[in-house]
Amino acid sequence: MSGEEEENAAELKIGDEFLKAKCLMNCEVSLILEHKYEQLQQSSDDAVNQVSQVFEKSLQYVKRFSRYKNPDAVRQVREILARYQLAEFELCVLGNLCPETVEEAIAMVPSIKTRGRAQDDEAIEKMLNDLSLIKKFE
Amino acid sequence: MFFHIVLERNMQLHPRYFGRNLRDNLVSKLMKDVEGTCSGRHGFVVAVTGIENIGKGLIRDGTGFVTFPVKYQCVVFRPFKGEILEAVVTMVNKMGFFAEAGPVQIFVSNHLIPDDMEFQSGDMPNYTTSDGSVKIQKDSEVRLKIIGTRVDATEIFCIGTIKDDFLGVINDPTTV
Repeated sequence: MSGEEEENAAELKIGDEFLKAKCLMNCEVSLILEHKYEQLQQSSDDAVNQVSQVFEKSLQYVKRFSRYKNPDAVRQVREILARYQLAEFELCVLGNLCPETVEEAIAMVPSIKTRGRAQDDEAIEKMLNDLSLIKKFE
Repeated sequence: MFFHIVLERNMQLHPRYFGRNLRDNLVSKLMKDVEGTCSGRHGFVVAVTGIENIGKGLIRDGTGFVTFPVKYQCVVFRPFKGEILEAVVTMVNKMGFFAEAGPVQIFVSNHLIPDDMEFQSGDMPNYTTSDGSVKIQKDSEVRLKIIGTRVDATEIFCIGTIKDDFLGVINDPTTV
C-alpha cells in the first residue's frame, strides 16, 4: 500500500509499470472495443449477451467522450502530440480533454511544466492549435 | 485512464479440452476468466486484445489438470489520484453526487463542489449556481479531478473534486 499512497498523476507518479505502458485515448479505446464488439456479434448470438458489465460501461463511456470519431483523425492526434516529448500519460490526458487554452492545458496536465522540459507556453499553444485543427477538419 | 498492458496468468485447463482446439479453448477461457475483473494494482480489465505467448504446460500431480502460463495483452482502466477526467453524473443528493467514468464510480462530496452551488431537492435533485446558469443533475457531464482512491477486492472507488480551475460541468455543446 505504501506505493499506493504516493501516486499522483499530476506529478506523473503513476508507477513504473503504467508509466512505461501504452496509454490509450478514449477515442482509441472506442475503436478497439467497437471492433471487438462487432467480432462478438458475428461469432454467436449469446456472446454479445455475455459481455461483462465492465466492458459495456467502458464502451458506453468512451463512445460518449470520444473527441475524434474517425480512425485517421485519431492517428493524427497521436502523431502531433508525439512531437512534443510528452509522456504517454500526458499525451492521452490532452487528447481526451482537448484543452483550449494554455492555462487550461497546464491545469489539466501540471507535469508538462514541472518536469523542466523546454515546454514553453508558445510550444503548448502551437500544440493546442494543431489539435483543434484536426477536430475542425475531421 | 485506459492502458494497453501485458499481463500474465497461470491458466488451469481440464484434460477434456486437450486436442486440436487447445489454444482456442485456452484463449476463450482466459477471456471468460479475466474480462470484467478488477484488481487494485492493474485496475479493471476491460478486454483481452491479444495473446503474447503461451508457455509450456505443466501437468498437476494427481488431477491431470495442466497449468499454462499465458501472457496476454489487454485494455485496462485504472484511475489515478490527481488524474483529471470526464464523467457522467448518475445520482445527486444532499451529500454530493456520484458520477461514473467507464467502470469506475466517483463520489464528489458537497464540500468539494464550488461554494456558490446550492443543493436543490425535488424530482430532479441538482446543484445549481445562484444565478441558475450552471446546473449539475443526473446525466450531466462533468470534468473532475480524482483526489482519492479506495481499492476493494473487486472494485475501485474514487473520491473526486470539481472545486478547482477548469473543472465542473462541461458546457461546450459541441462535445455533448
